[in-house]
Amino acid sequence: MAESFDVIIVGRGAAAFSAAIKSSELTSGQASIAMVGFGPLGGTCVNVGCVPSKYLIEAAKVVHTQQNPRYPGISSTAPKIDFKRLMDSLREAVLEERETKYENVVKSYNNIRVFEGMATFIDRNNISIRNSSGETTISGYNFIIATGSSTKIKNIPGLKETGYMTSDSVWDMNSLPQTIAIIGGGFIGLELGQALNRLGSRVKIIKEHVTIAPGIEPELGEVLVEYLTEEGIEFLSERVVTGVSKRNEKKIVTISDISGAEDIEVDEILISTGRDANVNGLGLEKAGVKYSERGISVGKDLKTSNPDIYAAGDVIDQRYKLETLAAREGTVAASNIFNNLEDGIEYSEIPWAIFTEPQLASVGFLESEYVSRFGKAKSRVVDVALVPKARILRETHGKCKIVTDAETGKIVGVHVVSPYAAEFIIEGVYAIKFGQTYNDLIGKSHIFPTVSEVIKLTAQSFTRDIEKMSCCME
Amino acid sequence: MASKKVTMKVFGMTCDDCVRHVTKGLTDGGAHDVNVSLESGIVSAIVEDTDISPEELTKLPVFGKNSQYKAQIRKLE
Repeated sequence: MAESFDVIIVGRGAAAFSAAIKSSELTSGQASIAMVGFGPLGGTCVNVGCVPSKYLIEAAKVVHTQQNPRYPGISSTAPKIDFKRLMDSLREAVLEERETKYENVVKSYNNIRVFEGMATFIDRNNISIRNSSGETTISGYNFIIATGSSTKIKNIPGLKETGYMTSDSVWDMNSLPQTIAIIGGGFIGLELGQALNRLGSRVKIIKEHVTIAPGIEPELGEVLVEYLTEEGIEFLSERVVTGVSKRNEKKIVTISDISGAEDIEVDEILISTGRDANVNGLGLEKAGVKYSERGISVGKDLKTSNPDIYAAGDVIDQRYKLETLAAREGTVAASNIFNNLEDGIEYSEIPWAIFTEPQLASVGFLESEYVSRFGKAKSRVVDVALVPKARILRETHGKCKIVTDAETGKIVGVHVVSPYAAEFIIEGVYAIKFGQTYNDLIGKSHIFPTVSEVIKLTAQSFTRDIEKMSCCME
Repeated sequence: MASKKVTMKVFGMTCDDCVRHVTKGLTDGGAHDVNVSLESGIVSAIVEDTDISPEELTKLPVFGKNSQYKAQIRKLE
């Protein structure tokens, strides 16, 4: 007879861990929990996502600052880079983070058992687990599917034969490619593109659209592209990659637009054309769980089409694929199961960021989205150059845009490109969550001098000419 | 009036006082003939369909969001 568990969690990333821990907490450690999956514990974020990318970005920032000191009187120096040593330290940082935040954590719960292997639903209550040692079956009363996502690889002729990197494999690099073509202008392409460019690669970002990553206010996307272009990244927009091949030791990327085709010669190719939900092989049909190529369909309470099975994280058919959101969904799914609730997540309160320099951080509606849904909106855009701290930092690239309801003045979107934007976008989260207006933002003292004052200044721009204001004035 | 026997798994019970607390919560909510196994966490109770549904049993205050006890139905007879 198959071993039975109170909860079976399919997956072992951020959503899976938070679901398992919350399930344990809510049941005073009495629920028996199985976590099934393969690959390193912790999933995308710690192993091949946020952690290594931010490490590389910060290292590249050090190089850039030494080469481009912001203050007169400090001369530029060219740092000697031992790329292999840098990447070794990055890989060590990943191991340490994984050990601290995942491996050791799961060991501290006696009621959570980790199974290694590929999980497939046999029916609505049983899954088989296949690994190199064979196959076993376990049964469960509750299920949470949290298998995450993986790099979307487009069917480009010659790509497989020529070879390429993804955001999964780029961390195995030991030498810096002199030239690199990044296919896709989303979050990953922009972040890694800037980091590799600052470390010394010549970077070309090939993208199909005029804009960069989706879901960005156009004026903010423009300022970011403008700055990244100034740093030396070449954007090839509205181009489609029609083929990839090898010539001598070089890789050739053939791109085309309305004017014709062009070959680009590079040392390496990085694919960053989005993420696919990991739904294949799970046997979801046998479990009665509906899904599409975009992921598993869930209701507001994270229940799938089978009410006994929940889903959380990147595997869900949803707009954002974020570690923090995945972890929150895991917690909400577990809470709904054990508290018999139907709670949901307010997605317009979920912030996200691109960790380029300047950073782009965003929460809530874009102006165009709000107008299309509710008819009208009111917005203001303020240059970061108007913020004293940005001028002190001598980092004045950026803008802040606040979107409000046209009638009530309530904040419905806050979007910032600036230094440290990811650190203070939480103010926008609170403003939206608690239904604050621009007057509420104005009525709160911000520390002077901080870049976060850009939010207050933008709020003030709804009511007055901010160029005729003294410092810290309310 | 139809009776149903509900078998639940109740999480969070650690002592005899918990058993009393869960039993009282269920009987106050309309169940009768409540049997609690502290060791296994298995709780059985009888409900009359005119008083409370089996699903509503798991949503009684004794199993609420702020309670340490959580209940899930395992069998209906």
